[in-house]
Amino acid sequence: MIAQLTRQSLILLGLALLPAVGQAVYYRDRISWQSPVAPGEGVTVSRAQSWGAAALWVDARPEEQFETAHVPGAVLLNEDRWNELLPQLLAAWSPEKRLVVYCSSQSCGTSREVARRLRTDAGLQNVFVLVGGWEAWRDAQK
Amino acid sequence: MKWLWRSLAVFVGLIFIYSGAIKILDPIGFAGDIDNYHLVPWSVSAPLSFYLPWLEVFCGLALAFRRLYTGALSILIALILTFIGATLAARFRGIDITCGCFGHASKNSSFTSHLALDLLLLAGTVFLWREHSRNFTSVRGVVPLPFAAETK
Repeated sequence: MIAQLTRQSLILLGLALLPAVGQAVYYRDRISWQSPVAPGEGVTVSRAQSWGAAALWVDARPEEQFETAHVPGAVLLNEDRWNELLPQLLAAWSPEKRLVVYCSSQSCGTSREVARRLRTDAGLQNVFVLVGGWEAWRDAQK
Repeated sequence: MKWLWRSLAVFVGLIFIYSGAIKILDPIGFAGDIDNYHLVPWSVSAPLSFYLPWLEVFCGLALAFRRLYTGALSILIALILTFIGATLAARFRGIDITCGCFGHASKNSSFTSHLALDLLLLAGTVFLWREHSRNFTSVRGVVPLPFAAETK
């Protein structure tokens, strides 16, 4: 049974590899293999700050953290209260604005998800994810 | 009773096919889900997000159609155990995770419901494994090592 188990497992592991490699090749330009932020999607603090008033900061953290501190002028938009908060963001948005979404740190995934939804669900363009998140912005102010 | 085991195998197989298919449609979202566990670096999460869903689908198909059955069961049990371990580890480390077991379709489910579903799937696959081992033993006259003690 051990030999059968090993043989069958190897066949299945190999079978799954074929379409997975094909799909990975198909997605090669849409996913970054080194960083969670896709190519062209990330923006550094200094670059986002250089946009000045054209940047609309979007805070994707929980409301408690937003109320404690946030980037000046930032609009709260998290997944928990998406439908409730989206109109508030759209009211502050205009076509020439560049949206800079951030969550707590580099490792949090919320900003990427909010950015994705802003593009796909809300149909907005020029949506960026802040590299390093809130921690990076805070460190840049020191 | 045979029909019951067959039905269970098809049911569990279909769950894994569905689970894999949902993630195949959104590999980037699934990569984010894996990354949120903070267990492996992104350079591992990204390739896994393409591989694991297909593995689930093939194992689910193998279970439903009773082909490569032993291999599929062992891989699925290993996957579920890994996932339960990762979920518990994330919970104890205070990481707020989305489960990822059904891709973004399951992100609003609670930790308890995720864990309950995983435990149910684990129970189903272990039952199937035990039944399969008994049949294997009776056909081949060989006692598989993990169950040798039970037959004494």
